[in-house]
Amino acid sequence: MTQQWKLFADLAELAGEREVTVDTAPGETVGDALDALLAANPDLETRVRDDDGTLRPEINVLRNGADVASEDGLGTELEADDELALFPPVSGG
Amino acid sequence: MQVLGVLDCGGGGETVERVVDRLVDAFAERGRVGVVRYDATIADGTSVVRDPGLTPGGDVTYDLGADGDWVACGTGFSIEDAVDALARDDCAYAVVVGHRTGQYPTVTVGADVPEGTDVVATVETPADLDLESLVDRVDEHEPHVTLETLVERVKRADDADRAGAIATFTGRVRARDSDDDTPTEYLEFEKYDGVADEKLAALREALEARDGVYAVELHHRTGVVRDGEDIVFVVVLAGHRAEAFRTVEDGINRLKAEVPIFKKEVTIDDEFWVHDRP
Repeated sequence: MTQQWKLFADLAELAGEREVTVDTAPGETVGDALDALLAANPDLETRVRDDDGTLRPEINVLRNGADVASEDGLGTELEADDELALFPPVSGG
Repeated sequence: MQVLGVLDCGGGGETVERVVDRLVDAFAERGRVGVVRYDATIADGTSVVRDPGLTPGGDVTYDLGADGDWVACGTGFSIEDAVDALARDDCAYAVVVGHRTGQYPTVTVGADVPEGTDVVATVETPADLDLESLVDRVDEHEPHVTLETLVERVKRADDADRAGAIATFTGRVRARDSDDDTPTEYLEFEKYDGVADEKLAALREALEARDGVYAVELHHRTGVVRDGEDIVFVVVLAGHRAEAFRTVEDGINRLKAEVPIFKKEVTIDDEFWVHDRP
């Protein structure tokens, strides 16, 4: 399966691109797709996870427009062609 | 309202007029169309349509006819003022002819294009215009929205006859927080396309579901917004002032907390993402 990550604000600048495609296997989770993204873009690692490898609380992860916190967090199982998004705190207005 | 520029880039005045003609006809199939012509030879508030023997008799003159037809001339009016006036006049499209600012997506007639122009199409003749696809692309651009446009829109709501209050919030670019603050040149907003619009729609629906609230409009610009310009509008039509004020405040607070829009600030000597600063 392939998943598309969309990156925003300083995360896109750190990665050097706004969209990153990663390959995952059936049954894998959002957390697995995040591992794949960070493996391919190591500059993002410390911005997104702390020293224990825990997702920093200010970082948002969305799957198909919905915050994964409203599902099973990083344990949310992926479906084919999900659109995943990673971004810092929103700052409109 | 969507805005399109048309620029003579070597094609000649008559060809430009025929191109504008075709564009206006195409836009008119989808909505009311306004045209702004920039002509540096207009001077002293006099218009070519008036009898040159007459003086306007004021700094601004409206000649009114039957059925609301009108002709006007005057002084002290900018392209931005004219485009704002068309938006207020409920135009769905504005065509700005002959102004070389590069701030609107532009059709160039001829290929001698000034640097910095945001070109959507370059044509040599009117027949070169692929109108359907061009109008579709113009529709995808950031719309020109003013506070007044939104106020007029809520006044047309179904229950407007029960609404005694309109409250509005305008967020604008603040150049500085204190005297010794480095001035902000501009902000640049990035939006999560699709998802930001879904969140705005959901927020609007939640606010409109409140008792005594009859219509809500929310608009946030994206791209570069310069010092002193407006960024975001919240407009609420409500039965009474208490619901109107409360809903406007909650609306802007929730928009800032929930909608995936990101702000980069560019000052005269630095640039940074706003969420990275305390």
